[in-house]
Amino acid sequence: MKLKITNLSKTYKNGVKALDHLNLEIGAGMFGLLGPNGAGKSSLMRTIATLQKPDSGSIEFDGINILENEMELRKVLGYLPQEFGVYPNMSAKNLLDYFARLKGISSAKERDAIVKKVLEVTNLYDQRNKHVSGYSGGMKQRFGIAQLLLNNPKLIIVDEPTAGLDPAERHRFLNVLREIGTNHTVIFSTHIVDDVKELCHNMAILNGGKILAHGTPKEAEDRLRGHIWTKIIIREDLEEYKANFNVISEKYNQDNTLNIKVYSETAPNDTFINAEPQLEDVYFVALKSDQ
Amino acid sequence: MFSTIFNFEFKRWLKNPSFYIFIFLFFIMSAFIAATSFGVFDSITASRGSNSMANSPLALSEFINGMNYLIYFLLPIIIGSSVYRDFRYNMHTILFSYPFTKWDYIGGKFLSSLLVVIIITLSIMAGITVASVLPWANQDLLLPFNMLAYVQIYLVYVIPNLFFFGVIIFALVTITRNISVGFIGVIVLILITIILSSFTRDIDNRYMVALFEPFGEEALGYYTKYWTVAEQNNNLLPFKEVIIYNRLIWLGISSLVLGLLYYFFSFTQTALTFGRSKKNDRVTKNNFGGITAIKLPTVKYDYSGWQNFKTMWSLSHFDFKFIIKNFAFLIIAFVGLLVLLLMSMTAGQVFGTSTYPVTWQMLMLPGTFFSFFINILTFLFAGMLIHRGDTSRMGNLIDVTPIPNWALLGSKFIALIKMQIVLLLIIVIAGVSIQAYHGYYNFELGHYFFELYALKLINFVIWAFLAVFIQTIFKNYLLGFFVLLILSIGIQFLPLLGIEQAIFNFNSGANYNYSDMNGYGNSIELYYVYKIYWSLFGISLFCLALLFWKRGIPMSAKETFSNAKKRFNVSFGAVLAISLISFFALGSYIYYVNNIENPRYSDKESEQQAVDWEKNYKKFEHYAQPRITDIKVNMDIFPNTRDFKAAGSYWLKNKTKKTIDSLFVNFNDYPTVFKFDAETTLVLKDSLFNFNIYKLKTALQPGDSIRMNWEITNKPNTILRDNSPVLANGTFISNGYFPSIGYSSNGELEDDKTREKYGLKPKERMAKATDSIARMNNYISNDADWVSFETTVSTSDDQIAIAPGYLEKEWSENGRKYFHYKMDRPMLNFYAYQSARYEVRKDKWKDVAIEIYYHKGHEYNLDRMVKAVKLSLDYYTENFSPYQHRQARIIEFPRTGGGFAQSFANTIPFSEGIGFIANVDDEDKDAVDYPFSVTSHEMAHQWWAHQVIGANVQGATLMSESLSEYSSLKVLEKEYGKSQMRMFLKDALDNYLLGRTFESKREQPLMFNENQQYIHYNKGSLVLYALSDYIGEKNMNNALQSYIKKVAYQEPPYTNSIEFVSYLDQATPDSLKYLINDMFKTITLYDNGVKKVTSKKLENGKYEVTIEANISKYHSDEKGKRIYADKYGKALRYKDRDQKEPIESLPLQDYIEIGIFSDKVDAKSKSKEKVLYLEKRKVTKINNKFVIIVDEKPTEVGVDPYNKLIDTNSNDNRKKL
Repeated sequence: MKLKITNLSKTYKNGVKALDHLNLEIGAGMFGLLGPNGAGKSSLMRTIATLQKPDSGSIEFDGINILENEMELRKVLGYLPQEFGVYPNMSAKNLLDYFARLKGISSAKERDAIVKKVLEVTNLYDQRNKHVSGYSGGMKQRFGIAQLLLNNPKLIIVDEPTAGLDPAERHRFLNVLREIGTNHTVIFSTHIVDDVKELCHNMAILNGGKILAHGTPKEAEDRLRGHIWTKIIIREDLEEYKANFNVISEKYNQDNTLNIKVYSETAPNDTFINAEPQLEDVYFVALKSDQ
Repeated sequence: MFSTIFNFEFKRWLKNPSFYIFIFLFFIMSAFIAATSFGVFDSITASRGSNSMANSPLALSEFINGMNYLIYFLLPIIIGSSVYRDFRYNMHTILFSYPFTKWDYIGGKFLSSLLVVIIITLSIMAGITVASVLPWANQDLLLPFNMLAYVQIYLVYVIPNLFFFGVIIFALVTITRNISVGFIGVIVLILITIILSSFTRDIDNRYMVALFEPFGEEALGYYTKYWTVAEQNNNLLPFKEVIIYNRLIWLGISSLVLGLLYYFFSFTQTALTFGRSKKNDRVTKNNFGGITAIKLPTVKYDYSGWQNFKTMWSLSHFDFKFIIKNFAFLIIAFVGLLVLLLMSMTAGQVFGTSTYPVTWQMLMLPGTFFSFFINILTFLFAGMLIHRGDTSRMGNLIDVTPIPNWALLGSKFIALIKMQIVLLLIIVIAGVSIQAYHGYYNFELGHYFFELYALKLINFVIWAFLAVFIQTIFKNYLLGFFVLLILSIGIQFLPLLGIEQAIFNFNSGANYNYSDMNGYGNSIELYYVYKIYWSLFGISLFCLALLFWKRGIPMSAKETFSNAKKRFNVSFGAVLAISLISFFALGSYIYYVNNIENPRYSDKESEQQAVDWEKNYKKFEHYAQPRITDIKVNMDIFPNTRDFKAAGSYWLKNKTKKTIDSLFVNFNDYPTVFKFDAETTLVLKDSLFNFNIYKLKTALQPGDSIRMNWEITNKPNTILRDNSPVLANGTFISNGYFPSIGYSSNGELEDDKTREKYGLKPKERMAKATDSIARMNNYISNDADWVSFETTVSTSDDQIAIAPGYLEKEWSENGRKYFHYKMDRPMLNFYAYQSARYEVRKDKWKDVAIEIYYHKGHEYNLDRMVKAVKLSLDYYTENFSPYQHRQARIIEFPRTGGGFAQSFANTIPFSEGIGFIANVDDEDKDAVDYPFSVTSHEMAHQWWAHQVIGANVQGATLMSESLSEYSSLKVLEKEYGKSQMRMFLKDALDNYLLGRTFESKREQPLMFNENQQYIHYNKGSLVLYALSDYIGEKNMNNALQSYIKKVAYQEPPYTNSIEFVSYLDQATPDSLKYLINDMFKTITLYDNGVKKVTSKKLENGKYEVTIEANISKYHSDEKGKRIYADKYGKALRYKDRDQKEPIESLPLQDYIEIGIFSDKVDAKSKSKEKVLYLEKRKVTKINNKFVIIVDEKPTEVGVDPYNKLIDTNSNDNRKKL
């Protein structure tokens, strides 16, 4: 169960290079794809999900050449796009039954059973007769998970699923995802570092259509250990610091001072304090170094 | 802010390619259609010739308003979407926070998009103008460009209509935020028009319909309906009363809608939705759900082809539900049902009498409009289903499932078919309801379902294939819808471009037809052949749709093609190849059979042939030829194989004073052999025109005869070609299939302009009444006078075969029935054969046997027909002359053969469609018993045609058709009273006035009519009935009697209308002689109307009524131009106080009927009103005052109250007090 992406490139009609000779190998478990908006995450996800063709390169999953044999992949694929709608005026149960048919479950009894199960898993069973088009954001995302489970997928692709969810929903959602991730390959894109931190045993940082970093969150953090420095400054000094140091992030404190972080092999000067690297720092360093 | 929104919206359209696409489409379509009517394509197809100018203001208004029906479908797309877009793309949340007023927003959006639509409609005008200056345009058909005509059409109709309906559609879409509701709006408006227009069949409703019909066409028609050719060519469109009221009414309605929209529109974010809002429970979230282990039940995944097939079927249910729950569907289905029910009120009516609601009649109700709606819904829902994933944004979820493309697209296709099935079911429901309502309980559900589902459905399925294909190609389903709409309409114009064969014209081909007698007969087979042919094409289209169907993210054109290449695998290729190869194979076979095995002539070629025929053989027209004197025919009819074999012999006698050295034999393309009992040589054999010339070895001396034997059979029938007129049940073959002698001018081109193009001299439709050569022939036959006739006809043993004459012998032989008929006296060379499984009703009038041969189940009106035969015999023998036969037979034939009855000697073929199933309501005084009137008309022909036959010159039909109409009216009047006369004559007047507007050559006075139906039937019945009213029935009939005595059974030269009218003239007193001139010798119309009426009660209890009436009359020239001056140049003029234009009139010495009526009707009387006064008063000036004293209180008065005179506006002849 290994997804292997080789040399994947895609340029859109408007000249945007969404994927740029991208290479990536993903094994079983939760894989986090971290990147800012417009980094090419969705392009990559859609390409893996057979919705879009790359200009060049190849993708292979579990011996299936995705670009040549999309139908085979679709049989084992679960996909939740960043944004989706549903047919209006259809209940969750009916919609899931519809998807179950699309996914090749021929027996009505078995369809009922699995629809019931995925509704339970996603905690939608009580709302199963309500129109999905009237669901709240979180419920709709859970519905998205429910439908992707129907074919018991080996490869699951979820594109920024937590955007816009309230904390409790996000939690619930991540739990479900995590539960699935133990047996499957789950690729999970996000621009929220915490999602990855909490969930993934493997990750990559993507920007400008290229992989900037790849590894486990732990390894990445370890690599930065001793190189992240922090300091509290006043707002007026920020420009000066930015000019002199490799500032990777700055945040307001409540008293209107700023907390800046600097990446440096050695202490930039003695006013900086060495900080324990966070995954967020890994992300910012990666983006910064790509500029 | 208004101008900002206006400009922004307008500029957005200017940058939108579809704006230019629409302009281009309408420009091209208009130019193309206009070009066909301007004769631009005459060089590749048949010529167009007409008296009426193709770009007269009236023609332009019909054309532009017609094209505008398509523009109305743009209203939802352009005007409707202007606000809808903001919601669709969630712009409204931002927009509505900006500082503009409701008016800025609504007004800006509406007016800018209205302007866009108006600009698009201008391309219609541009198209017409360009077409008119194309070098090949026939300038004879065109008037000079007249800007004023366009300005009128656009300012009075086009732009106001766009405003009215734009407002309505704009409001609908804005409020519901659903473009398809806008489409419903358009369709409902069109339906309203259809319904309203159907009410104008009753002339009395015309005013009301004209007021309210939304498009203003009925209002225009109110004034232009009877416009003659001259008026069409010369007049600008009228703009007065009803038209102004109509426009104001709709301006009011649309302003009200706009006001309501303004009032109710609010910058909120929810659309108004119809229907129930579901009660929802309050949902509180359980945020503490723990972690559940996910163990999915094991289920079987089946990706086999068969499973996919089943899935396709079950998925179609989902899509089908989407359709039938959709507003557009529900409303159109409901309105469609409503229209069907409404249409049934007037459908199939003849003279106010309907037929029994038999199943075939019900199946005809939907007509073309219902098919059009099924197509529209197919086009619309094909788009909505195919783009449903995108619209709902669920597409990506579906696209990544392992369902093959064909199953997914197939499910949508199946859903469309299911929708069509449901829509067709509406016809069944409507039909059965109408039948039940009329107490007709013979529900032939099998027939309904067979026609709708086994025959009609496939036609729609083929459209569904095309719809799926087009909607797959177009990303925007509204654009796709529009393209489909234009295709479906444009295809009908292909034949005008010279593309005449059905195999090149999408989804066309032979249609089926039904009659009670013969069922669908052999029409089904050919229908299926063409439908299979087009289905194969449809399947190919579906395959192509699969190649280009978007799955996943939209791709560039290049990617789409490379993707299509990838999708093209072996099994796919096989299906496509098989369907395409079969399509081309079947098409080639049809082409081979119709073009190579059998010669086919395009309209253009046929035109050329007509020219060649005339140029080659016209010279023989007056060559002396012998005349047929005796006819013997052995006719074998084979209903099972639909073949016939005829062997006949003619005795040909030289009746001239010259010797005849050669014979010209004219026949048709059935295999025919000839033999003569004298030695002949074939000197010319023209196998194209089937014209042989035989030279006689010894010339035929005056008074000598020669016998010609001939045999004619049909080529065997095949599925693709019918080579015989024989039907399985209900054959009707006339002697037109048999050889004739001499040149026939029937095939010559009629239109003078077309003739000129081919270098032919202008042609009279008929010879002048005084033409002494033409008078040597009667108008039935050019090669015989009175003949003896004898025939033996055989048919299958379950049928009866009939021909003129008396049955001498009947026997069976070899499982076939034989009938030997012989006529005992000379008759015209005019006979026919009929064969069917008949029932026979027998009766007697004195010693005349009456027989009706009818189809079992058609017993409804036999009694009426028998009665009509008897009463006709009564009246005609008493008033005209004795009946020359011992028998009168009526024989039914299938409606597929036509809707007429025809009189042969002692034999009257009578279509099942016109009387056998009529549902005559004796209580309804406005409904004519037409089984009765048609029968008496045909019976009258036994005198007026079979005793008196006019020469083949102008006016001949005055003595046959007009007199038969007159005779039958008299019989009808005797039986039913004057009230039925009114209904009949009102219809005759309407048809006469309408008929003259379509006159392609010239309108002739009744006396010199050139076989023009609107003259000899409609005007003839009016004029002769009025004359008998003026000079007295007895007096008139005496004149007819002496005329018959003089000319019945005469040998050539035959009588003409001049001779006939002289008899009438003699019977007419001097004071009324003007009638002879007005009615017969000229085209005369009155314009009579009551201006004012007052009444006051006198002391003696009587009432003094003062009527002010305007009387005027004019002659009309052959094009319909009014002439007010008599031959001395004298005319009357009168100017009313309140009128701008003076009234003109020919000098008057006329007697006009003045009537005063009361609505108090005593119970005994059959009529609706009581006549207090009715007298003809002499009138010499236009404005007249009549003071009349009557006994009772009057309620209504009239000048010419019964519309006996011809008057284009018969509505103002009466006035209520």
